[in-house]
Amino acid sequence: MTTSPLLDAYRLTEEPKWHPTGEEVAQFTAAYSVRLPVMLKGPTGCGKTRFVEHMASRLDRPLVTVSCHEDMTASDLVGRYLLGPDGTIWQDGPLTLAVRHGGICYLDEIVEARQDTTVIIHALTDDRRILPLEKKGELVRAHPDFQLVISYNPGYQSVLKDLKESTKQRFCALDFDYPVAEIETSIVASEADIPTSTAAVLVKIGEKSRNLRGQGLSEGASTRMLIHTGRLMQQGLTLPEACRLAMITPITDDPDMRAALEAAVDACS
Amino acid sequence: MPVADMAAAAPNTLVQAATRSAFPGHTLTEFLAAHDRLTKAGYGVAVPRSFRQAAPDVSRLVGTDQALALAPAASRIAIRSSPRTAAVFLDLAVPMSRRLGTPQAFSSWVQLVISLVNAAPESVEPLLARAEMLDERLGLDGLKAWVQSGLRLGGGDERKRQQYFSLEMTEAQRLLERYAGEETFQSLESELRAGHRALWGRMPPLREALPLGKGHAELRASFGGGVVQLPASFSGYRGRERSVYKAALAHIGAHMAYGGSSFQVGQLKPLQIAVVSLIEDARVEYLAMREMPGLSRLWLPFHDVSPDGMATAPSLFARLARALLDPDFPIRHGWVQKGVTMFTEGIEQIGNPALSRHIGNILGNDLGQTRVQFNARNYVVQPAYRDDNLGLWDLPPEPNAPPQQHQFEINTFDRRETETQDSPQKRKQGQPDQAHDSGVETVTSARVEPSTGRVVAHLPEYDFTAGIERPDWVTVKEYEPGPGDPLFWHKLKERQAVLLARIGEMVRAASLGRARRLKRQAEGGALDLDATIEAAIKLRSGQTPDQNVYEGVSRPERSIAVHLLLDISQSTEDPVEAAGASVISLLREASAILAHAMDRLGDPLAITAFSSDGRDDLRVVHVKRFEDELTPLTGMALSGLRAGYSTRIGAAIRYAGAKLAKIPCHRRLVLVVTDGEPSDVDVSDPDYLAMDAKRAVQSLNASGIDVFCIALGHAAGQRHGEIFSRRGFLQLDRLDALPTKLPALYLRMAR
Repeated sequence: MTTSPLLDAYRLTEEPKWHPTGEEVAQFTAAYSVRLPVMLKGPTGCGKTRFVEHMASRLDRPLVTVSCHEDMTASDLVGRYLLGPDGTIWQDGPLTLAVRHGGICYLDEIVEARQDTTVIIHALTDDRRILPLEKKGELVRAHPDFQLVISYNPGYQSVLKDLKESTKQRFCALDFDYPVAEIETSIVASEADIPTSTAAVLVKIGEKSRNLRGQGLSEGASTRMLIHTGRLMQQGLTLPEACRLAMITPITDDPDMRAALEAAVDACS
Repeated sequence: MPVADMAAAAPNTLVQAATRSAFPGHTLTEFLAAHDRLTKAGYGVAVPRSFRQAAPDVSRLVGTDQALALAPAASRIAIRSSPRTAAVFLDLAVPMSRRLGTPQAFSSWVQLVISLVNAAPESVEPLLARAEMLDERLGLDGLKAWVQSGLRLGGGDERKRQQYFSLEMTEAQRLLERYAGEETFQSLESELRAGHRALWGRMPPLREALPLGKGHAELRASFGGGVVQLPASFSGYRGRERSVYKAALAHIGAHMAYGGSSFQVGQLKPLQIAVVSLIEDARVEYLAMREMPGLSRLWLPFHDVSPDGMATAPSLFARLARALLDPDFPIRHGWVQKGVTMFTEGIEQIGNPALSRHIGNILGNDLGQTRVQFNARNYVVQPAYRDDNLGLWDLPPEPNAPPQQHQFEINTFDRRETETQDSPQKRKQGQPDQAHDSGVETVTSARVEPSTGRVVAHLPEYDFTAGIERPDWVTVKEYEPGPGDPLFWHKLKERQAVLLARIGEMVRAASLGRARRLKRQAEGGALDLDATIEAAIKLRSGQTPDQNVYEGVSRPERSIAVHLLLDISQSTEDPVEAAGASVISLLREASAILAHAMDRLGDPLAITAFSSDGRDDLRVVHVKRFEDELTPLTGMALSGLRAGYSTRIGAAIRYAGAKLAKIPCHRRLVLVVTDGEPSDVDVSDPDYLAMDAKRAVQSLNASGIDVFCIALGHAAGQRHGEIFSRRGFLQLDRLDALPTKLPALYLRMAR
């Protein structure tokens, strides 16, 4: 079955690079082939979004990404009536678009959205695979190619922000974490285009910063941060400068934590 | 005979040439006059003689004015203390002026001595006896702080002060260490802690080591028994404190990461033990630097021994230590060369601690056969950042070893916490448990004496009879809570498990809040039907429609900060009939439960307990400040609250209001929990404090801070309605309901 051209804008033109850290590609493919919804768990900047993009491109599906936030309502997902010159017009939301036309809908950081918003995906994620558009009085049956992927960072959310049990139980879940040093080094080296030896130092610094997770930092430096640092070094900044610019200063304002991170940079370089 | 005449009459006998050159022009006359006064004052011969000898040199070193000022100072000391002390002071003037160098510094040193002679005449002599050492260690500012601490600590007790200033009191030594540096263990502690955790991924309990003996003892870091102890200061590293602490902690980190189980002493001689330790130091540093090459920049600067010189044991040790770390260090001694060669040859087994023992044994033997003397008793590990090596060896416990911790209770608790802190369930974010290990570790062995208060603020008070607000009338002093129960949270969780769970549910429900529907919005999730119809009608009738046709839902916003004020006056000691506990223990529990609930909601909360002993002593105890996290320390502080004194409620409210004013929240609330009406020892009129409290509430209201009171006990005879207005308080007859009521009330108000 082919996808409607409506979603062409959401197709990835180039396959984003992905360095496998385990069996995640095969696992995701298996889940997709039976159209099971997938939940990606892991700290920020460890590659969840990149992985979805990679998989969408690999499976040749358009990818509709929605970054969830606290103010997001159900209408932001499914769509709403707008007022036009000749009365009201229904505008499909990103989720409805993917459901109708067969894309992968990726709800990034789903716990940021309020719980009453997220329940609308319930009927989509069990064997009914339908999306009721209450306001419009329409029942959208999911396109056979449609799949829902959500991501979720169990780390920094407070106790108040968690998925409902009924939501959780609908998903398969893949656990992501920062890759082991060797793989992370090759990722940083290739993404930032820096020598492996330099990347190894960056990764070591990253590891040190992750030691402070929950001890003053809510998260350590992510792979993404390490790549950014590497890119800055590629621009001619020294390692301490780049670390300060892309890692230490963004991550914390606490002088003790900064001093600790500076010490880590100092010790590793 | 006039002084000028005297100078003129006997210029050559009385005044030596040196003195003349030191006091040019008319200052010579002044000098002679000062000398004359000292001579005639009847202090004996020593004082004028010392003055005569000291003044010229002082004049040359820090100026004529300072030299002349010595005379009145000496006079003052002679009168208040004794002429002998004055002579000692004058004899010290020359070395001190040389030491301090500038007139300003010298003058403030003299001022310090004078202020001490005024406050504690008996302590001047012991202070002067150690003046040079104290200056060496503390510098002028540190000395000032140290002297002031001594005065505060000694209070009116002459003997205590004397003990302090002659360094016979442990506290005096501890404070000496504390002030002996710009950066001390205390000021660097949290940074060090975080840095260590970053580098090594763990943080063993960290303590400030107690000083060993009098004054000079050179203390090293230590890590025996799983507890890392760092000296309160490193002498001789003024301005480099941060690096030396970092280096010391990194070194210990290396030991802990790469060391094996402790070495058996067996038949080893002290010399061999020292050499084995040295090799082991180098071995773990080598491994650490292989992992983190930047550490060499931290460690190397402390190795400053030169390659040549007398082949004494300390020098050879330092050279070997440097040679093993620094490949560019020239080796000019056979023994050092042998050590380096063996170390290099053994590099393949570098991961094995047995290597250190092997090399150390041989090198120790070699050295033992030469004439090089090794004195185990006064051997101190060099360079300063390295630890005392006691952690490396399986040493039999010293029977007479002094306790290294003041509070064993805390100590054992720490260990327990450290063992469990890495377990996965505790790693979860945002849970109160999370704070445990970081919080507990900050307990240092040193605690401020609970009986001394620190003045933190002066507050006005309202006198209703005069109708004026007297500025700076009440002095607020901050006190440390008494020793608390480290297992407070633990016990609370056991005792109140059901209640805590229920409040957890309430918090969850409350945090969802109720969303409000917003009509006629410019944007929103859905069309507002009424507005849409109106707009459609306008459109069709050719008019311009209103664009605001959407409706949205407002998010319930939480922005509330609470300052909880606990009345811990004497009456709270009374038992509550029904519960069988005292009021204060119910207060503790109720505030703990509230703090727990608010912490989960993420609302800022401060808890301050107060009582008063006259207007000069509004006693506040900070159980939790706004910036503090909820940790076991909070529990300890709560359980450490002791009832006593009276209730000057108005001042406490003002104090809480002032703290709260700085918190950027939409709603700010002072929540007072009290069991009686205001009273204090220095006020007889019962209306006075009530009216003042009323005024305080009003002024807080005017600045947008709400005050709410929970009045405990029977309403009879209480005036809370008057003070807090009728809607501003809640009478709670059944005191045992307090732990339940307080969070519930809060949630209702915070909605």
